[in-house]
Amino acid sequence: MSRTVKAMLVGLILFPFAFLLMLSVGRQWPYPALFPQQWSLANWAMVWGGSEGLSNSVAISVLLSTSVAALSTGTSFWVSRHIAYHPKREAWLSMAYLPYVFAPVILAACLQFFFILAGLYGTFGGVLVAQLFITFPYGVIFFSSFWNERLRNMEQLVKTLGGNSRQAYAKVLIPVARGALATCFFQLFLISWFEYGLTNLIGVGKVPTLTIRVFQYVNEANLFLAALASCLLVFPPLLLLWVNRRVVFKG
Amino acid sequence: MLQTKNISKVFQGEQVLEGLSFRINEHEMLSILGRSGSGKTTLLKVLAGLETADRGQVILEGQDITTVPANRRGIVYLYQEALLFPHLNVFENIAFGLRLRKQPESVIKDNVYALLERLELPEQAQKMPEQLSGGQRQRVAFGRALVIEPRVLLLDEPFGALDSETRTNMQDLLKGVAKDYGLTAIFVTHDLKEAMLMGDRMGMMQKGKLNIYDKQADFIADKATGVLEEAQFWINLQDLKK
Repeated sequence: MSRTVKAMLVGLILFPFAFLLMLSVGRQWPYPALFPQQWSLANWAMVWGGSEGLSNSVAISVLLSTSVAALSTGTSFWVSRHIAYHPKREAWLSMAYLPYVFAPVILAACLQFFFILAGLYGTFGGVLVAQLFITFPYGVIFFSSFWNERLRNMEQLVKTLGGNSRQAYAKVLIPVARGALATCFFQLFLISWFEYGLTNLIGVGKVPTLTIRVFQYVNEANLFLAALASCLLVFPPLLLLWVNRRVVFKG
Repeated sequence: MLQTKNISKVFQGEQVLEGLSFRINEHEMLSILGRSGSGKTTLLKVLAGLETADRGQVILEGQDITTVPANRRGIVYLYQEALLFPHLNVFENIAFGLRLRKQPESVIKDNVYALLERLELPEQAQKMPEQLSGGQRQRVAFGRALVIEPRVLLLDEPFGALDSETRTNMQDLLKGVAKDYGLTAIFVTHDLKEAMLMGDRMGMMQKGKLNIYDKQADFIADKATGVLEEAQFWINLQDLKK
């Protein structure tokens, strides 16, 4: 591949990010001007200053996605092991596909009544539980190909060497699965981070994640704030991608 | 030392083990010969506590251990594959059982280095499993089992994946180690010569039934073991040369 083609491809990939960054520091962009007519860091100052609640949205999104990814990765790793060695493995695994038969919003609409009943409607906890309905089965499907006879033998070996199940997990299974766990955590973080339908329906606007904010600004035709929120939305996954790449390839 | 009484197991409608009753004495190695699917592995797993028998008892040093979980039996099961823990180096693989028992660091070092020396692996202590040859991996697997001084060692075709030269070396090494450490062991193989070399006594497993021979002559004389057939083959070959 020639250097020019390579540079063009890199340029194509980076263009949307550069464009969003430009919009986030722009003000007034009347047609047919090529660039915004004013440049200002005022929008970014709002994030640090706390007005518009953007810093609050960043905190909510980070906390929500980290909790959802950590909970789903941990539980799906454990549950998928039991499913993998169960005589009716296929039947259990097919149940993990059920949430994907419906669209997330339809699933949320079906569950809405129960969330109201449990007092979870419009709360952070409610959105967290709702997202688990999507991320947990995804984790189970992700790990279903991880377990095999060799790992099972390794686990049994730990037992004959005197270890209990907890020690088998802590000393062998989790260290061996480090790369897979990091990849699963990353993917589930992304699913949660960009989730809109469930979050909007169960959160009813009271849990303003960054994704909700972006849609809100777009609906208001607030171009510059939507770009700013999008920049904030993109940064943490990029950071996590870099960390994940280091962990996976080191493993 | 280790005794079984009427062990039976049915798996997916097939009788895998059928009324097995036998006894192994202390410091004795019993080799069991059998084809694939004869029930050898299932028998070892029942003894190790990794599978449950439908009927029968497993008695170790006079104590009924039929319902005792695998991690409290003191019986180590070794697979054909060395199954070294890929995230640990050779030293830590061997030290694994001692670390589970929270032994002091000085005890761990003394025991592990002594075993590394005996298994001719002192130079490999800091290497990772993928840097070892097949024979070296199997030695580390022995070390990992021996370091905890198991009451019984179960070996399920441990040299099955090795080339013939390494296999011969490993057989010699295991015989020596078994003598030095006074091991009580069951050695399962489908290789006739290996069964005769390794066992103080020999057994033949067929369709879930185990026949144990107290004398080597009885094992040779029984047509079912295939020793006579094998010997005849070599005699015929010798005759052809003449």
